[in-house]
Amino acid sequence: MNFDYHALLPEIILASTVMLVLVTDLLPVKKYWAAVVGIIGTSAALVPLLTLTFCDSLDFCEATGARSMFSGTYVVDSFSLVLKGLFLVVALVVLLMSIGYLEGGRFWQGEYYFLLLASVLGAVVMASSRDFISMFVGLELVTGPTFLMAGWRKGDDRSNEAALKYFIIGVISAAILLFGISLVYGVTGQLRFADVAAAIAVRGESPLLTIGVIFTILGFAFKVSAAPFHFWTPDTYEGAPTPVTAYLAVGSKAAGFVGLLTVAYVAFGSTRGLWAGLIWVLAATSMTLGNVVALKQTNIVRMLGYSSIAQGGFMLVPFGALAGADVTPDMLQKAFFATVTYVLIYAAMNLGAFATIIAISNRIKSGEIRALAGLGVYAPGLAGLLAIFFFSLAGIPPVAGWFAKLAMFNSAIGSGSGWGLALAIIAALNAVVAFAYYGKIVKSAWFDAVPDDVSDAMKADTKVAPSLMLALGITFVGTIAFGVFPSLVTGLSEFASSLSSGL
Amino acid sequence: MSNYFGDYVTVAVFLLIGAVVVGGGVIAAKMLQPNNPTALKSQVYECGIEPIGSGWSQSHVRYYIFALLFLIFDVEAIFIFPWAVNLETFANAGFGVFILVEMFIFIAILVLGLVYAVRKGVLTWE
Repeated sequence: MNFDYHALLPEIILASTVMLVLVTDLLPVKKYWAAVVGIIGTSAALVPLLTLTFCDSLDFCEATGARSMFSGTYVVDSFSLVLKGLFLVVALVVLLMSIGYLEGGRFWQGEYYFLLLASVLGAVVMASSRDFISMFVGLELVTGPTFLMAGWRKGDDRSNEAALKYFIIGVISAAILLFGISLVYGVTGQLRFADVAAAIAVRGESPLLTIGVIFTILGFAFKVSAAPFHFWTPDTYEGAPTPVTAYLAVGSKAAGFVGLLTVAYVAFGSTRGLWAGLIWVLAATSMTLGNVVALKQTNIVRMLGYSSIAQGGFMLVPFGALAGADVTPDMLQKAFFATVTYVLIYAAMNLGAFATIIAISNRIKSGEIRALAGLGVYAPGLAGLLAIFFFSLAGIPPVAGWFAKLAMFNSAIGSGSGWGLALAIIAALNAVVAFAYYGKIVKSAWFDAVPDDVSDAMKADTKVAPSLMLALGITFVGTIAFGVFPSLVTGLSEFASSLSSGL
Repeated sequence: MSNYFGDYVTVAVFLLIGAVVVGGGVIAAKMLQPNNPTALKSQVYECGIEPIGSGWSQSHVRYYIFALLFLIFDVEAIFIFPWAVNLETFANAGFGVFILVEMFIFIAILVLGLVYAVRKGVLTWE
């Protein structure tokens, strides 16, 4: 047994923070202190991530490359470091968004921060898991607390509906995933991803293995809400408290992608023929369905729900594009690069979009797109942020979204196969459709006349909670910086584009 | 792969035999038994005592939380037994202190759950 405490330090700090937040909730202090403890703990967990990343240039740190623990089931490599960093920063921003939201209503607060951080701990564990058991435990730790958080507005029927739907779909997807895993285990007799890959290479493909692989991939497809497994997404996003929706759309979704990528490439790498076509179909349907249905939405959060389905489709494109291609390690790396780039940029801009919507709906007390009319006249700051984040989601330079799309198209066309080109064309058409509904929001905010029902009080109320302001600031800087200096994000995603199998 | 599915044929045969034995028994009993129900005979059987009240009795929702709290310590016991059995092996291998501390961390986390329940007033019956 070898324990690399340095490599495990982020998890240890985060787990202690989860406990401390619960203790803080029990102390006779103001409830927001639980959030403060959470923010301090999450920031502290980022420190060992940095020391691990820059291990080569630090005196006290012994550079060993990928650190493999627990007989190869838990690996801290560059991929997991970058993704853990992403999850922790997402947690920080969501915590900041939540403080004002929870203070402004009748909510249980301590438990909320406890559950949020527990879910983030699951995501952090997932990024390092290299066997089916720890991957599944991590995944359940991500989703379990979010079922409760989706229903946090206890008095609201929609919130209850959101939680119930999410719970049922979450349980079904866990069952499908476990069914797939059990078949794979039955055929190969192995749980570690590297062993599974080796066993598949020896035994070859069989009908039972095919079913196992496809069910495992589909289990993750539910988690990333890829169409046609998306139907829980709009209802849950609309009903859940908006900060929770932001976490579901970014943190939980990124965790699903991490699971999908590691399982698909480390465990099922040699059976690419079985699932690459599946991912092609998932990518194409997610983009098309998400974008087309988003066009008709009148509620802004619901529209962002469909938009996140579509964005999930874009993230799948680099891997779907490899369907018909002879894959070289170089192309695989490019696909990893494109997807990680997309996930990082999507996190910044989508969190920003949700933070802006929280700030706006505090002011106009409505989640309807119509109600945004005239926002540019009486709240130019918020309307400006809205324009920046939505243009970024649409993919217009110089804000970050364009670079995510560029990397995605680059990888899809670079695959050189007809399937890749076809998917790139579908993605291009969808990017145009997406511009219509993102643009509609911005047009409504800037060019429509101020409706009569906007009271003077609403116009005068310029107060935005300081924590929300900070969240807006972080995502704004991220969105602008990633767009103007794409080298910031390419540095990270190039670092992350090699996955260690742990053996 | 055919022998893999071959194993399932065995399972299916056993399933069939099981169904025939159980189903055959029920059908045979149905055919052989004299059918002569009286009010006394169709009463619910409750260890020979005359049943009181309806079969649908309600229990307080609070028992649910007690059940959850019980579960915490049930799970704790399940983990402590194998731990205690293996502690000596680990101690001989030189991991004794580590394994001991691990278990105390585990118990501390569970105790935190109990403290939480007490502080939130779950155990006070009003």
